[in-house]
Amino acid sequence: MPEQSRENTTEQPRQIGWDVKELLERLDGDEGFLCELLVIFREDTRLNLEKSRKAMAERDFDMLARAAHTLKGMLRNLSMGAAAEAAASLETASRENRGSDSKELLEELEKELEGILPEVEAQLAGVRS
Amino acid sequence: MRILVAEDDTISRTLLERTLQRAGYAVIAVENGAQAIAELVKQDAPRLALLDWIMPEMDGVEVCREMRQRKEQAYTYLILLSSRESKEDIVAGLESGADDYLTKPFNVDELKARLRTGHRILELEDHLVEARESMRFQATHDLLTSLWNRGVMIELMSHEIMRSRRERSCTAVMMCDIDHFKSVNDQYGHAIGDEVLREVARRLHNSVRSYDMVGRYGGEEFLVALNKCNPESAVARAENLRVKIAGRPIQTVNKPLSVTISIGLALSTEFAECTIEEIMHHADMALYAAKAAGRNCVRVARPSGIGTPTDEQSTQTQVLTP
Repeated sequence: MPEQSRENTTEQPRQIGWDVKELLERLDGDEGFLCELLVIFREDTRLNLEKSRKAMAERDFDMLARAAHTLKGMLRNLSMGAAAEAAASLETASRENRGSDSKELLEELEKELEGILPEVEAQLAGVRS
Repeated sequence: MRILVAEDDTISRTLLERTLQRAGYAVIAVENGAQAIAELVKQDAPRLALLDWIMPEMDGVEVCREMRQRKEQAYTYLILLSSRESKEDIVAGLESGADDYLTKPFNVDELKARLRTGHRILELEDHLVEARESMRFQATHDLLTSLWNRGVMIELMSHEIMRSRRERSCTAVMMCDIDHFKSVNDQYGHAIGDEVLREVARRLHNSVRSYDMVGRYGGEEFLVALNKCNPESAVARAENLRVKIAGRPIQTVNKPLSVTISIGLALSTEFAECTIEEIMHHADMALYAAKAAGRNCVRVARPSGIGTPTDEQSTQTQVLTP
């Protein structure tokens, strides 16, 4: 019994907080379209992270909240649940001008995204090859 | 069906665009509220719109508010897209004039179902507008001839006379009556009589300019008002109308019928102090004179009495010879 359950665990996708299967279902299995969205995602994430870091440095919580809001929407749309929730918490914290919380949450979000981006690259490479 | 998508987030916009295209919509996608308004106020604008709640320039709620203030346009069905979940926001959104809301990320089936609701509401709106327009037409037009009805015609002429006095121009008022119409009804029946009325109405209507007015006064009598009319050419234009009827027989289902009209003409400039009712009375007196002169002719009302139109004598043809 214990062996069987270990086997099951190895078959599970790695916990990266990205439900590609669910996303593809929503896209009617259109991998080409998925690829298009991921290219946009890669660029928009980079831009919004830059904007967030700049806002954090300038303690411009309004700008930070807006960037977090955009990231949240994007991440939710792409079924990147954990990162989306980090962005949502960051949006709330920055709306409430909670400086140190915002800083921590931004770091958390960046960590989540660091986990996802290689997967995105792999997906892009996989579709292309 | 066309639909507007206003969403600043590229991924969400692209997703919506593609999903809606797959569902058979023609999508216009914009990136902010100001662009959304610009599209929605255009002629032939899409009547369904998906608006993101938080957008630069103008947010979705502001777009809803702005759209609802413009009452002159056809109804636009507005759906707000929100990633917010709190109840107050939803209430605020609906109170701004949104018809519905969807939370992001959207579920495709739910999106389609909500758009179908939008279609139903828009169809309902179209039916109501159609019914209202049809009732408005019926209330202002004569059922048989589709000309202005008597009440509306008198009101329109009254306004026109006031305007012509302000602008020092002339309105020519004509009372036209089909000669011996009773004998058409007696000889051929009312169905043929109706055909004659419709054809006379059609010819009168087609013989005047778009800013002139033609109405049915009642029975076989018609009213024509020529606005901004040169007083010197009024008689010639009345003559022209007379000839338009007398010049060619009317094709009825039975046989062609020769029909003529008599016309009494009064010019607003000749009766500068008179109300529209008084001017119509003078035109009516002139019409009597035309009838007395043998019909199928024009007579002009003058403050001094009824005159014959110029030296050019109107022809008097044998009327209604079957």
